[in-house]
Amino acid sequence: MAFLKVYNVTKTYIGARKEEILALSDLAFDCSDREFLCIVGPTGCGKTTLLRLIAGLEQPTAGEITIADKIVEGISKNTTLVFQQYSLFPWRNVIDNIAFSMEMRNIHKRTRYEEAQRLIRLVGLTGFEKAFPYELSGGMQQRVAIARALAHNPKLLLLDEPFGALDERTRHRLQEELLTIWEHEKKTVVFVTHNIDEAVFLASRILVMRDRPGSIEYDFQIDLPRPRDRRSKEFLELHIMVREILERILTNTNAY
Amino acid sequence: MPKVEAVFDRLLHPFSDLLDTGSYVWHIIVSASRVVLGFILAALIGIPLGLLVGRYLLFHKIFSPIIEILRPLCPIAWIPFAMAIFKTYTIAEVFGVRYTTTIFGHIQLGMLFVIFYGGFFPIFLNTVHGVKSVKNIFMESALLLGADQRKLFKKVILPASLPAVLTGLRLGLGISWMVIIAAEMLPGSDAGIGYLIMFSYELAEMDILIASMILIGAVGALLSYVVKLASDRTSVWQAKER
Repeated sequence: MAFLKVYNVTKTYIGARKEEILALSDLAFDCSDREFLCIVGPTGCGKTTLLRLIAGLEQPTAGEITIADKIVEGISKNTTLVFQQYSLFPWRNVIDNIAFSMEMRNIHKRTRYEEAQRLIRLVGLTGFEKAFPYELSGGMQQRVAIARALAHNPKLLLLDEPFGALDERTRHRLQEELLTIWEHEKKTVVFVTHNIDEAVFLASRILVMRDRPGSIEYDFQIDLPRPRDRRSKEFLELHIMVREILERILTNTNAY
Repeated sequence: MPKVEAVFDRLLHPFSDLLDTGSYVWHIIVSASRVVLGFILAALIGIPLGLLVGRYLLFHKIFSPIIEILRPLCPIAWIPFAMAIFKTYTIAEVFGVRYTTTIFGHIQLGMLFVIFYGGFFPIFLNTVHGVKSVKNIFMESALLLGADQRKLFKKVILPASLPAVLTGLRLGLGISWMVIIAAEMLPGSDAGIGYLIMFSYELAEMDILIASMILIGAVGALLSYVVKLASDRTSVWQAKER
């Protein structure tokens, strides 16, 4: 049973010179419940646009998106998005950032803090409850952002290159933590990245997008056992395969 | 020109009477009460109006043309007009008290008006700017985390624009303090540090005049410092953000 369905979605923007820009063209895929779907593709292929459509921040020009058989017409409580840029509220400390969505639901302060504490432990930030975002490193800020999204308790968690700005070691550590959370919290995850290694390490399925206009080029299942070993033969083969697909897309695009 | 010692001597005796008009402390209290009252009025109207204009296009369309015309008009230019309209009515008289020895007998409506006018624009314009420059990513994050429009306003737009509002308050208070000195110099004034400057000028009491100027500077700096303290306390994050 597909949990998230994207039916022939097209999205056009009006550019600076009033011309129509086709960001996504006739894009379609399904995503099952509790899948970890990674979307990779060259810069500007519409990955972020696709995520914003699924999140309900924007509407498709044509086609339709459903989550649990309900058409996405706006922001819904089943979905939340972790942005690439730092998006924590700078006037709130860690615990109040994480508790934000519970505050929106008028949950009692004590309950809200108990749940926030649990999430702080989950993302390994015990002791930083009262710290403000400006006091945290980039990696810690993204951990808080993920905990804040989890506190909203969405069925579908969207992540837009959340580790893009981090150094490799921090990125690897957060990837492992994210997998633990995904297994533990039983979420469906759609994760956008341009980092092939990241996609192969995390995904249970990878979609490769092409650009101009954005559409799906390849769709394959990753059946490597977890935890995955980055140096194993199978991992490297998959890595090379995705790279070749991406390189082909880029040469084709440049040939135009 | 007076001797430096004479000026210092004046500053060292802030409670002694000057030219039968009252002491420095008295004049400063009168000026400061006028400013604080007019400034509070400016904040009470400027902040809510700024929030509305910054948030809702409808309010923006209604108020922007009026404000763009009024804004370049210097508050000092309003002083003669305000005097003519409000004459020398004081707050005490408005509340039906004709003779009073309290401070309210010295707070003229005309002066309040020009202070309000001077303080209003920085407060209002900074608030509008603060609301308009709330980062989109904060608003989208809040909506994605289940905020409705009312909570978005209260929990995101308000705290995010607070530093800009406080900057507006600080600028507004500074301008109010300048305007009151000018307003007090005009005929019809009966007290205040600006009045004292003009009166000591007419009597050629240069030591009183110079000491007054020093005090105006000092009080202005103090007022600004008080607002800065308040804003540093409420928005530490703003200063530390990149």
